[in-house]
Amino acid sequence: MHIPENYLSPATCAVMGAAMVPVWVHAVRRVNRDLPKEKMPLLGVGASFSFLSMMFNVPLPGGTTGHAVGGTLIAILFGPDAACIAISIALLLQAVIFGDGGILSFGANCFNMAFVLPYAGYGIYSLIQKASGKKDRHGISYAAAAIGSYAGINLAALCTAIEFGIQPILFHDAAGNALYCPYGLSVSIPAMMIPHLLAAGIVEAAFTIAILAFVRKTSPDLLYGDATKTHTKSHVPLFALTAILIAASPLGLLAQGTAWGEWGADEISAIVTNGKTLGYTPQGLSKGWTLQALLPDYAVSGFNEIIGYILSAIIGTALLIIFFKLLSIPVKKKEKYAA
Amino acid sequence: MLPEWMQKEDDYHPEKDGSRFALSTIKTIGCAMAQIRVQHGHEKGRTLPPVFKLCLLLILILSVSIARSRILLMACAAMILGYLCTWPAKDILPVVKASSRASLLACLLLLPAMLMRPTLIPNDLFIISKVFLCVSALGIYNHTTQWNHITTALRKLHLPAVFIFTLDLTLKYIVLLGSLINDLLTSVQLRSVGKNQKKYNSIGGVMGITFVRGSEMNQQMYEAMQCRGFTGDYNGL
Repeated sequence: MHIPENYLSPATCAVMGAAMVPVWVHAVRRVNRDLPKEKMPLLGVGASFSFLSMMFNVPLPGGTTGHAVGGTLIAILFGPDAACIAISIALLLQAVIFGDGGILSFGANCFNMAFVLPYAGYGIYSLIQKASGKKDRHGISYAAAAIGSYAGINLAALCTAIEFGIQPILFHDAAGNALYCPYGLSVSIPAMMIPHLLAAGIVEAAFTIAILAFVRKTSPDLLYGDATKTHTKSHVPLFALTAILIAASPLGLLAQGTAWGEWGADEISAIVTNGKTLGYTPQGLSKGWTLQALLPDYAVSGFNEIIGYILSAIIGTALLIIFFKLLSIPVKKKEKYAA
Repeated sequence: MLPEWMQKEDDYHPEKDGSRFALSTIKTIGCAMAQIRVQHGHEKGRTLPPVFKLCLLLILILSVSIARSRILLMACAAMILGYLCTWPAKDILPVVKASSRASLLACLLLLPAMLMRPTLIPNDLFIISKVFLCVSALGIYNHTTQWNHITTALRKLHLPAVFIFTLDLTLKYIVLLGSLINDLLTSVQLRSVGKNQKKYNSIGGVMGITFVRGSEMNQQMYEAMQCRGFTGDYNGL
């Protein structure tokens, strides 16, 4: 679901980036107010869950791949505002260091995965919880989490598809060839939605439930909005789970193929849609600005892919934990002396 | 009964003192010097021997800086960051602060190249990440090792004793002289109200006094060392 560089026009990128600014401001304010500082390092663990879940590619019908995002999970654990920040940071890391998603399209990616996904997912989750009335029944809360995460990731995919789809309508050259993403709404929506409805959504729901059950069992004090359970257990199992996920991340390599809408500029002209190849490379793609990421696609060409993948997972997780640990340091207020 | 001159209201507005440039520059330098404190580190009971750590640091920095393959760089990064993320937050902060400052500088230097995209130079974060890793590694070493252990490690690597001795003294004296300059300038500032025409005279005075005090301290330390049996031979250090 990561939109690469130059698939969206700079204008679209600017609009999406501008749309995210108030969301970020709101989220930062809310998190500063509501989330206790001790929880910040754990938010880093949450962000790294999301980061790792995005590395597990699943093969989807049609020869493409998809992945879970884990946005609803973080929203359930830490609240939707914290989830928005955590996923934004994870996406930034992926864009800058691993070349997954573009830098110009960072705003759009955040809109889909850090705004639509956690807020929608958490909204549905809490609606179902409220409607059922009884908060203590685990079955209902798991079902709510599953439905919320399934709906969340599909809404995010729909937004992505619409962003892709409006590009050829708005931006094309005199010959009618698209400048940026070449596929209209009629192609992009089914291409994004069918695989997500059939597979990626289910993976996301399964991932959410599995981790939620694990957290509930090992450190129930983490759950958002549960002020009654204040005793803090050791969080060692959580870190152990992170380590296991890191070690297992090369499983994501099993799925071959590029996700829909994430092709490189060299691949796109050969893509087959409805039995036709595209036959040209859109101008914006071949001539646009790109930043060569440090570790493109989490792997090192010519070297053992598995090692590269594991190292990427370690680096990403460590960076996220460090970042959120730094956020947990209370800001010193400057004392003002009367003159 | 107060004397008459004390009852009168004064209307004295000192002229604004312009060009404080030289004075404030020296003051900044003095502050910066006084801030260099010898690191105490958060060294705890059982750690690796400092010599081993120093060798490890040198190898790490060398391999990061000459690395051309990404996998080597990634391995170093995973090691450094993986270790760093187990630290408590307040210890991470100084390390990350220093390394992000350094990489920001590298970023600024490379920015024109990254935006203009000349064909031969890849548009790449390779160098910036190298800077980040090297400075982080140095920061980690600095933070986990006491200064006297660093000198011991240097000694074990058979560096000449005079060199280590000078290094040690220099660091200590930079702090002492820095705070001395700072004090002197503060007292000059407090005593000069309004426009100071002889600014450059006072700068000369400050530097002169610093020099005199420095050589006095020097003499005193030499005498103290002689009292403790110093014979001019650094080898037993």
